[in-house]
Amino acid sequence: MEERFDYDGPPQLRDLVTRALKKVVDPEVAMDIVDVGLVYAVRVAGDAVAVRMTMTSAACPVADMLVEDVQCELQDALPGNPEVDVELVWEPPWTPERLSASARRFMGW
Amino acid sequence: MDARATERECQTFHGLVSAMPQAWFPLHGAGAALVRPLLAALVAACLAAALTGGLLRLGVVLPWAGTAWAGHAAAAHGALMIPAFFAAVIGIERAVAIKLRWAFAVPIGAAAAGLAHAVGLPQAAAWIALAASLVFVGVNVEVVRRQPQAHSALLLASAVCLLAGNLASLGGGAPEATLGFWFAFLAMTIAAERLEMTRLMRRRPGVQATLLAILALLAGAPAVGLWQPLPGGVLYGAALLMLALWLGAFDIARRTVRAQGLARYMAVCLLAGYAWLAAAGVAWAATSMGLAGRDLALHGLGLGFVFSMVLGHAPVILPAVARIKLAFHRGFYLPLAVLHLSLVWRFAVEPVDFAQRAMAARWNAIALVLFALMVVFAALRWRVLHKR
Repeated sequence: MEERFDYDGPPQLRDLVTRALKKVVDPEVAMDIVDVGLVYAVRVAGDAVAVRMTMTSAACPVADMLVEDVQCELQDALPGNPEVDVELVWEPPWTPERLSASARRFMGW
Repeated sequence: MDARATERECQTFHGLVSAMPQAWFPLHGAGAALVRPLLAALVAACLAAALTGGLLRLGVVLPWAGTAWAGHAAAAHGALMIPAFFAAVIGIERAVAIKLRWAFAVPIGAAAAGLAHAVGLPQAAAWIALAASLVFVGVNVEVVRRQPQAHSALLLASAVCLLAGNLASLGGGAPEATLGFWFAFLAMTIAAERLEMTRLMRRRPGVQATLLAILALLAGAPAVGLWQPLPGGVLYGAALLMLALWLGAFDIARRTVRAQGLARYMAVCLLAGYAWLAAAGVAWAATSMGLAGRDLALHGLGLGFVFSMVLGHAPVILPAVARIKLAFHRGFYLPLAVLHLSLVWRFAVEPVDFAQRAMAARWNAIALVLFALMVVFAALRWRVLHKR
């Protein structure tokens, strides 16, 4: 499986984190945030999880909802109900190069 | 791929709320408790007044049509719909996105302008709307500053169109120019969002530049129309038609219509809207040349295009803005079908049969009421699905 975001934490949790994040879907395009490439980095340290992610638009009101979904999914998936801190960043800006192979196929690249 | 994955409840979300950006209205305590429902009620009242006024113009007499405000609403139908209702809704959406408290002055001002129209103070309403649109320009300058890209710049341009329309309405210019600016505000807002989404597709060189040229024409044509209504109207109609062709050719809806659930429903709303946008463009140009089709020009655009976008986006935007979780269901296709079929009916009989047109317009409004019922049903459905 291609590495879609930077991961820093226990290796055995990596798959769990990826699967949890793939449950968060952008409702308009029916693609998950990992495939769209919105997740930049995840750090798991003890019972604290830090996520750095972006949006395709700074004027998108759905951002809060996606952030909240990320927090929910990671809390549900990871042992010990960890605290999840999500940081929304605009640097580096999202570009289409961040789309996964399957997302590109769906979008007709 | 399944969009329903987002429609789940977070039961383990404790102690984190303070770390979260405050949703939809960044005020705390008693202020928020008072202002939020008040603003929501004002925005709903703007829409209700706008619809009442629109129906009254076509001779549909609702039970409350005898009241003074219904008469005022009929006189100010367009001003209630665009610089009051839509400016308020889009103002809320933008304020939620950029999370600045002062940005809420835009929807509050726009809704207050609507209220002033309803009580028969059109001049005061126009000044309040103008002030709100000035603040809205400032809000979008902030969007551009945060994300200096083409779609952000288009949002700023759309705000300038709203401002120009509000200035034109105060200055007593040709009503077509005012309406042209107001509709350009809506069309550009939609186009900016669609342009942003096309980044998910492989974009051929020149595609973005083409859209920018079309939208420059769309914004420039009403300015021409202030002095020269005929060429202004023809150029405006041509810009609408070209925008429809651009969206039909390059929008991601052509892809996402093959998805399922909410994504497909949204794509259907978009594609149907683009067809009306094209028809309205042709009609706009024709009307400015003295031919028939004014209702198609204005309401093909307003109801067929803009409200179809609203029907498509509300199931996504409402949960984000109002914090109401919705479980999408196929019932959403019912108001969509009623809206588009009743529009075909409305324009097919125009202008020969006024009684038929009034009946069709009644169904346009029923479609919107049905949509509101579908939203309520979707909210209840979500609760049932997530009962543990």
